[in-house]
Amino acid sequence: MSIQKQAYNALEAVVGGAKYISDDPAICEGYRSGPGGYESGLGYERVMTTIPGAVVMPKTTEEVQKIVKICNRYKVPYVPYSTGFYGPRSHCHVENELLIDLKRLNSFEIDEKHFFIVVGSGVIYSPIQQEAMNKGAYVIIGGGGAQASAIANLIGDGWSPLSHRIGLPHRRILGTELVLPDGELVKMGSLADGNDPFWGDGPGPDLRGLLRGFTGLRGCLGIVTKMAIKTLPFQPEPLVPTGIAPNTALALPEKRVKWVNFQMPSKAAQVKAMFEIGKAEIAGAATKVPLFWRAIAKAECKEEFWEIWGKETEETIKNFFIVRVLLIGYTSEEQMRYDENVLNDIMTELGGIARPTKPSDESWIKNADSAGMWLMCGSYVSVDYIIESLSQATQHGESYADLKRKYTPPLMPDNGDPGWFQSFELGHQGYSEFLIYWDQDEDTTGVDHFYLETAKMNIRERFYTSLLGPHQPLYLTGPMYGPNYHEWLLKVKDEFDPLWVCHPPVPLAHDEFVERAEWMKPLKDWESPKKLPMPKW
Amino acid sequence: MSIKNELAKILGKDYVSDKKEDLAGYAHDYSLLPPGMPDTVVWPGNTQEVGKVVTWCNEKNIPVVPVSSKVHFHGSTIPKQGGVVVDLKRMNNILEIDLDNRLARVEAGVTWDQFVSELEKKGMRTIMPLLPPGDRSVVTDTLEREVPTNVVYDYGEPMQSIEVVWPNGEAFRCGSASVNGFPESKSRGANPSGPGLDFYRFFQLAQGTMGIVTWASLKIESIPRMDKILFAPVDDLPYAMDFLYRILPRRIGQECLLLNNIDLAAIVAENMPDDFDKLCATLPPWTLVLVISGLLRRPEEKIAYEENFLSQVLSQEFQKMALTDNLPGFPGLGRKLLPMLRKPWPSNVPYWKNRVKGGCQNLFFITKPNKAPVFMDIMEMVAARYSYPVSEIGSYIQPIEHNRACQVEFSFFYYPDDAGEKAFVSDIYRDAAAAMMNEGAFFTRPYGDLAPVIYDRAAGYTMALKRVKKVFDPNNIMNPGNLCF
Repeated sequence: MSIQKQAYNALEAVVGGAKYISDDPAICEGYRSGPGGYESGLGYERVMTTIPGAVVMPKTTEEVQKIVKICNRYKVPYVPYSTGFYGPRSHCHVENELLIDLKRLNSFEIDEKHFFIVVGSGVIYSPIQQEAMNKGAYVIIGGGGAQASAIANLIGDGWSPLSHRIGLPHRRILGTELVLPDGELVKMGSLADGNDPFWGDGPGPDLRGLLRGFTGLRGCLGIVTKMAIKTLPFQPEPLVPTGIAPNTALALPEKRVKWVNFQMPSKAAQVKAMFEIGKAEIAGAATKVPLFWRAIAKAECKEEFWEIWGKETEETIKNFFIVRVLLIGYTSEEQMRYDENVLNDIMTELGGIARPTKPSDESWIKNADSAGMWLMCGSYVSVDYIIESLSQATQHGESYADLKRKYTPPLMPDNGDPGWFQSFELGHQGYSEFLIYWDQDEDTTGVDHFYLETAKMNIRERFYTSLLGPHQPLYLTGPMYGPNYHEWLLKVKDEFDPLWVCHPPVPLAHDEFVERAEWMKPLKDWESPKKLPMPKW
Repeated sequence: MSIKNELAKILGKDYVSDKKEDLAGYAHDYSLLPPGMPDTVVWPGNTQEVGKVVTWCNEKNIPVVPVSSKVHFHGSTIPKQGGVVVDLKRMNNILEIDLDNRLARVEAGVTWDQFVSELEKKGMRTIMPLLPPGDRSVVTDTLEREVPTNVVYDYGEPMQSIEVVWPNGEAFRCGSASVNGFPESKSRGANPSGPGLDFYRFFQLAQGTMGIVTWASLKIESIPRMDKILFAPVDDLPYAMDFLYRILPRRIGQECLLLNNIDLAAIVAENMPDDFDKLCATLPPWTLVLVISGLLRRPEEKIAYEENFLSQVLSQEFQKMALTDNLPGFPGLGRKLLPMLRKPWPSNVPYWKNRVKGGCQNLFFITKPNKAPVFMDIMEMVAARYSYPVSEIGSYIQPIEHNRACQVEFSFFYYPDDAGEKAFVSDIYRDAAAAMMNEGAFFTRPYGDLAPVIYDRAAGYTMALKRVKKVFDPNNIMNPGNLCF
């Protein structure tokens, strides 16, 4: 199948010929969700995704605008796509859909003095982190890894342990260009009336509200083609690449950058340590280390992982309390010594015992080790990754672990591991993440059920969750958050995309999935319209 | 039946008025904008009452003007099309102070006086703008993104979750407070983002045009154990800016700001006008103010590493920058100014910007710090064109987030009873604003006369903003006549 000929011809003219557009099935097959991707092999992917009818690769914002206007004229559904890390939810959902691959918008420019980098949608984190560090600054690389699109990451996720100092991702979005679903262009912040994107909000009410909810809209409200990303001052010493692939790392200048691990006597002490580190306003990161991570880090293959992990028990996991702290000498070596002294005071008070750590960084500053997540079973998803308070963050994972027991297998046995938590914004927020793993070649019905049941659990237990908007059935979560945030979201969608031409049927895609997947129907105990309020594609 | 009687059915007759003397106070403010009378004022006591009033107004298509403070400077609460003023002054509860998570949740009527004093009792503070009026609403200033004097935090914004009443009267909680049953929930309201969209963004800088914010959660910080205030006289502004580019990204200092002699004199003068005139004549053209602080743990060590860093930079790179713990010729300035930076301006004393002549028109915008001197030159040129003595214009530069940007603010002082002077200031203000815009000044907060100019220049943004407004407030009842609505 392909998109209609007139539309295709018009699109071809926009991108200057056949080189940057294709409906060749072999090319289109390359844009299939999975296999082996994030959220791979689950019911949502099988039921809701398909390959594109055509792929187009614009080079400029103007080309993107023209493409979108053609899509509106010929009623061609489309989905924006940069690196495609985020699995099925950012792939084509309907037949004959145009995939707009943004990787040619790949230039970036750094303003060293004013701490921002202007990037196009195809720019990934790896080069901008290096350039930032060359200029004495740094950015956050999300768990997706340095190969993820910086813009896509910042309008969907955008955090890591470094968020302890750097803070929430949406605060780092400065001047931005958004092509609306009808092709009109909105320039936000200081781009609204000028060419310098150094400032993010205004004029007046802040339309950055359209860019993301907590965890993003998966491109259903337009296409961000350009964004100035705030960087933050780092320290001046170089971090030197070391090792041989795949075991590479950054050697750290120990007087200016150092990871320190502390073994805590209890979870209470572990949590208290994070509160105290935040109050003391020290460090560049403060995170729990799940025992799980250690096995992943040590293992070089699946078998080795299982050998290591197989020695753990509920008891060892329950009694493993590590706080991992990144010290950074932002000001000077003396400042880092001050931070370390304060940290040692806190740990002495709480009974923390320092454990040896490598003088290198293997994951968070430059790379983010997402590849390890596939090691154990072949498939994984972060079923929740939630920024709230440290109070919520340090309890949330246990609820997940309890619920997960019922769905293990098909979920990987992990002895009740309650996930990961860390401090954000110097302890003003806490972050928790709960990851699940499964073998996509087995029956994944239980995984689909577990995923949806977590939404009900969060509602029941009054937890905030990242999995709102298009990540769960909108009519399940909508009435219970806000309340009725779904009504406003749908009104905004209808206003800016009355044809629902932009990535249909998101944000109602998970609702449709539950309707279409027979095995999901027994779980549907919430009210929704007989016919979902959107045009059918 | 009158509006008053209808609203009295909702709130009770004691909390509704259409008496001229009650309405008159809402008809004007400290701005140069023309007055406008509301038809009625109501004083709801809680969110439910706000919702009922707004529902009724929406059904009747009656404008609603939310008011939270007793003092206003930009004309945004002057009713432009009559209607009902919803004054939230009775909603002045500090709903919680959570010391573990370092957040406080305050209703819209909570004033700076109230908030700072309650926080102090618990050893806490909030980052705050320069000397906000003590009886101004904390929530309003936060929503309006008044720029804080504190430059050290990477994450800038203090606001977390908020509760709003939509223009259709429904209450809604943004961010992680959106969970069912909040605050009786595991979520504490620490995340402003979501659900679904970043709704809270639409209420920032909105001047009450998108709905009524009834409470907000704000970050709070510990009060430092030790502080040192440092001053440097500055007559070479670009040099001072270079110095700030050098030190602020290294996370030096808590509060940091630059005031010209006029603004500093207006703040610290004991007696007006004698003391003020004398200070204006003797203070340096600019004064850099930098506070370094020792926090809860090892405060001396923290002060020491900051001082050592400063001393190295000063001796090796910026020998002309005389940064010391007192401004030469002004003994005791530090002792006076330091506590002022952590408190609001006292409610029982004329506001510092109004001390000079009684009235003040501010012109402020965001720019990059290295462009601030250019804007000073432009102001001189505009002032010269009007034969306005530049030596009477207050100037204030507020670095933002490690000096990656700054707010530049000019103060034009005037006698409120002098219609001629008011008209003159109004003209120079508009002309100066246009000249600054042409040079790249970014006006994030479009007030009064400047709003149409700013929105004309930002056509794409304006178009999208109107579409968002149409979704949330299809009848345009919320504070009509402001921004581009």
